[in-house]
Amino acid sequence: MAEAEVEVRNPSGLHARPAAAFVRAAGALAVDVRVANLTRDPQKEVSAKSVLGVMGLGVARGHRIRLAADGPDGETAVSTLAELVASGLGETVEGE
Amino acid sequence: MSSELRGLPAAPGVATGAPWIYRPLVADGTSRRSLADAAEAASTELEGLAARLRDEGRPDEAAILDAQALMATDEALLAAARERQDRGEGPADAVILAGNEVAAAFEALDDEILSARAADVRDVAGRIARHVSGAPAPRLERRSIVVAADLAPSVTVELNRALLAGIALEGGSRTSHAAILARALGIPAVVCIPGILDRSAAVAELAIDGDAGVAFLDPDDRDRDRLAHAAALAAGQRSADDNFRARPLATADGHRVLCAANIGHPDEAAAALAAGAEGIGLFRTEFAFAGRTSAPGEDEQADGYARVLRTAGEAPVVFRLADIGGDKPLPYVRIAPEANPFLGVRAIRLADAEPELFATQLRAILRASKVAARPASVMAPMVADAADVARLRRLVDDARVAVSGAPLPRVGIMVEIPSAVLLAEQLGAMVDFMSIGTNDLTQYLLAADRTNASLADRQDPLHPAVLRAIAAVVEGAGGRCEVAVCGEMAGDPVGAILLVGLGVDELSMDPTAFGRVKRAVADRSRAELIELARAARELTSADEVRALVTDR
Repeated sequence: MAEAEVEVRNPSGLHARPAAAFVRAAGALAVDVRVANLTRDPQKEVSAKSVLGVMGLGVARGHRIRLAADGPDGETAVSTLAELVASGLGETVEGE
Repeated sequence: MSSELRGLPAAPGVATGAPWIYRPLVADGTSRRSLADAAEAASTELEGLAARLRDEGRPDEAAILDAQALMATDEALLAAARERQDRGEGPADAVILAGNEVAAAFEALDDEILSARAADVRDVAGRIARHVSGAPAPRLERRSIVVAADLAPSVTVELNRALLAGIALEGGSRTSHAAILARALGIPAVVCIPGILDRSAAVAELAIDGDAGVAFLDPDDRDRDRLAHAAALAAGQRSADDNFRARPLATADGHRVLCAANIGHPDEAAAALAAGAEGIGLFRTEFAFAGRTSAPGEDEQADGYARVLRTAGEAPVVFRLADIGGDKPLPYVRIAPEANPFLGVRAIRLADAEPELFATQLRAILRASKVAARPASVMAPMVADAADVARLRRLVDDARVAVSGAPLPRVGIMVEIPSAVLLAEQLGAMVDFMSIGTNDLTQYLLAADRTNASLADRQDPLHPAVLRAIAAVVEGAGGRCEVAVCGEMAGDPVGAILLVGLGVDELSMDPTAFGRVKRAVADRSRAELIELARAARELTSADEVRALVTDR
């Protein structure tokens, strides 16, 4: 199983626009990626292809999320999405 | 006969039209389409509406509809709806109820942004239900004022703009989607009008004044004259205020008062300074603590704080330590249930039970100050007496030992408890500045709960008792420490005039108020304002005070 942890730095977290960008990217992948919000509840996992599921994680700015996927293509899928989140999902985010 | 209903102004301008009452669909059991087909149709429709908004140069609002297009075909929603259908519910009912379930889960997460998204989910479910039942899309036939409980952005956008004259809502708020979109599209709007849904059913024409927040039912010639006059006046005032935005906050004879901004998130700092703020007079730090299951760490807090200090450059930034209390419990702060959280263990009163909470926050502020190489100002809310100031001083000293090399912070207190007013001389000698929170000071001075709407007329900071309290704080400070005001009173032109007359050194407010406050203060000399404030203190009610200031 492939896994990655990444901090969300978008001003309003993974809501509306950034959540939609994330879900669209996940939907384009052949693999099913699971997401959990480590800051709120590491046990609750949802599909990265469900915008309602992802928004329901309540990911706010500064929260850390975990991405996980199985299978041979899992590694690539997880790192693609992790990079996308780290880059701000099309929004300007300030790093430190 | 004409009559008027009062609400809250949400988008400026005056409009007249036939009332067009919008109610979200209530499923009637008919179904012309399968759930999957209806969801697909709703999604396509929402994508089209998003594209229309993008073409009009409204990418932020378009993003909401884009996300809704994804929600419409989301397996999580459709699976829940199918499950309900299998249990015998009609498809339209099933999807509306499934949407309600998802929305309720969003609302339960205690996250303001997500709660606002709950309405988006209900709107999507309603749209799918409409396609299931084959009901037509909402459509205006003539120039209309749309009357509704609340209005989803997707509905506002799909209505014919040429016929959509104005919006009058029974619910909503100034910050709801409907209000924001109305302002963006230049559609006059009034929100929170009790009774508008029932009352407009029986009238032929509606008029609204989006600046005053009033709706007229079947307006007569006199109403029309008033509206035309109000429209001209409001437009003139807005442009006059705009002319003052870039000037300093000063009286006619040049007495300067620092014009600062209240912000609640690091992202708001840049806009506040661009709007002409000479400092951040109140940086509410609760944003760092809300919507999470464990306390924010020092690094994470320091990041956000450093951003504000760097954005502010030379301008001072006042960090208010977290005002946490039983009214908004956090899962990682233990506060026993309280009957009166506003009189309970909150803010600095938590310092003994949760010392790490404030120690971590102060270390984060000092680290940010060190990284940004800018001194920070820190202040504690809910300070009652010298023991509370000593508590704050100890916490600051400990943090300074832990973070060596940080610039010396300025230390201050919020004055909002009546005891601190009476002790202003004592407390002022122990700090660098005092900042008066007029909202809470009014609530505590008049013993009128801010959250109790039936006491609204007892919560006016123009009350002579509040003016006398502020005068006592300025006198107690005696020029030995600075006195600022960071409550809503500072952003009200009448309040600002009195505060300058009472001798405060700094007004901190929402940046949108800069223009109107500067214009009001610039109108008179310092001596005139001192005299006005002196006279106001002798009156017997807030109404008399307002009349005194506005009549001159």
